Amino acid sequence: MINTPTFLCILRRSTVAGAVVAAAVVLGPASANKDPVTPKQLKLYQEAFMEEVRKGDLLFHGDAAMAEQLGVKLSTTGWACAMCHPMASDTHPQAFPKFQASMAKFATLRDMINWCIEKPNQGEKIDPESEAMKALEAYITWSNTGSVLVPGKY
Amino acid sequence: MSEELDRIRREMHAVLQPPGVRPDDSLQITRRTFIHRSLLFGAASVGQTFAWWPLLNTIDVAHAAEAPFKFAWISDTHLYERSLNTRFVDKVVRAVQEVQAMDPPADFLIFGGDLAQLGKIEELELGVELLKDLKIKKYYIPGEHDWYLDMGKKWGELFGQPNWTFDHKGVRFIGLDTVSRGPDYWTAKKMTPEERMGHMATLDGTVAGAWAGVGREQLDWMQKTLADWDKSKPIVIFSHNPLYEYYPPWNFWVRDWREVNDVLKPYTKVTNIHGHVHQVLYNEIGSMRSIGMLATSWPWPYAPEGVPKLTKPMIRADPGDHYDGVGWETVNVNADDKVDVEYIMWGRKEVFVQSPEDHDKSIGEVIRPRIADNQYPWENP
Repeated sequence: MINTPTFLCILRRSTVAGAVVAAAVVLGPASANKDPVTPKQLKLYQEAFMEEVRKGDLLFHGDAAMAEQLGVKLSTTGWACAMCHPMASDTHPQAFPKFQASMAKFATLRDMINWCIEKPNQGEKIDPESEAMKALEAYITWSNTGSVLVPGKY
Repeated sequence: MSEELDRIRREMHAVLQPPGVRPDDSLQITRRTFIHRSLLFGAASVGQTFAWWPLLNTIDVAHAAEAPFKFAWISDTHLYERSLNTRFVDKVVRAVQEVQAMDPPADFLIFGGDLAQLGKIEELELGVELLKDLKIKKYYIPGEHDWYLDMGKKWGELFGQPNWTFDHKGVRFIGLDTVSRGPDYWTAKKMTPEERMGHMATLDGTVAGAWAGVGREQLDWMQKTLADWDKSKPIVIFSHNPLYEYYPPWNFWVRDWREVNDVLKPYTKVTNIHGHVHQVLYNEIGSMRSIGMLATSWPWPYAPEGVPKLTKPMIRADPGDHYDGVGWETVNVNADDKVDVEYIMWGRKEVFVQSPEDHDKSIGEVIRPRIADNQYPWENP
């Protein structure tokens, strides 16, 4: 895994590269055909994903610094998500969306995450579109890589 | 990971369960236990299996005693300071009141470790204060959460020697310390005591490694302790971690289970009662029966693999009810050679699963270890 400065450097490089590609597409029909994806691009995409997984992992395990960085308060009781869900076990992202009995409503994984933050953790609900939510979702789904989709299952 | 676990598990069964080796055959096998055991041969699917499990909240083990008696078990209270978390405090208070109200009273209480969450002096002292209301004799063994802030200093001051033995009405009881012999993961990384504790307090952490073990010195002590004990007389061993291999990534084992088995092999009536797993577990390993106990704090999900086939799983807890999936236990040692472990799960009439959907593993999952604790902050500049 890359460290933060390297990652930022790659991001900067990718921004430049992205601008070049965008410019090429806009500027001329001769350049209109898209190029096949390159190993370098794939690596970049994967690293962008894993960076969110890393952040989500830290949030999930109650890391105070990451919570502060992303401006969230996921717990006030000392509890962290991982205390009931080691390795994101029993989070069942593959079963969402579904009727969630504990909430008595049809719910997405993000609804469930917020429910856990509010109820057992007694923390503050987070914006479903926030980076913290996306990072938690990234970590939970990545942890369950290989699980079979069973949407709706109790 | 699975291949490695499979390899370890195959080895465990080869070492511990050669043909014909089982807990003593002269022990009474109750109908309930028999039904558990038949699952081994039925190879039934979950759906078929659940249909003929009996609706009883006890697990039966068996051995001999001079007179009937009962004792109680509380563990895994994971107390934070009272100002941070009152729910865990409330649950200890409830367990203590219920044990105190047992009629006839329990002969003694075993506290099975993880009194504190982060090993703080305030947390351990809070535990002592709460348990003070319980007037019966109390015996303590440590959990990893009690230990790794100050390496057992405060725990030792409060409770003394972490391993001990006593005889009671024809049964030899042994308390083991399975937590204090973790590998040194902190010195090279220059961790503070809080950082060391933080890694230890994370069940799915990857830094503290295979910390659960009995250790050569303590094995020798156990062997010496048992040397004068008749091979056919009952022994009950308390440990924080299970004395077999269930799921090493969460330290649901002791790493030296082979050596433990070597010491216990000659004895035919051994029962191990353990905490740490926060869930109902039952297993038979060689000549030893093993029983996992509930926490008062919160339930862990069953591990993704390695759940003993003899375990009748506990019911899937409601995360909205913090009294669900947790509780304490009574252990009744009867004159007719039986020991009943009764799970007191608050708010539940049925402790065990009643249908496949009651099981937390009814949704199949493939999960993997976390990554961030091995990168951050240790490998960052």
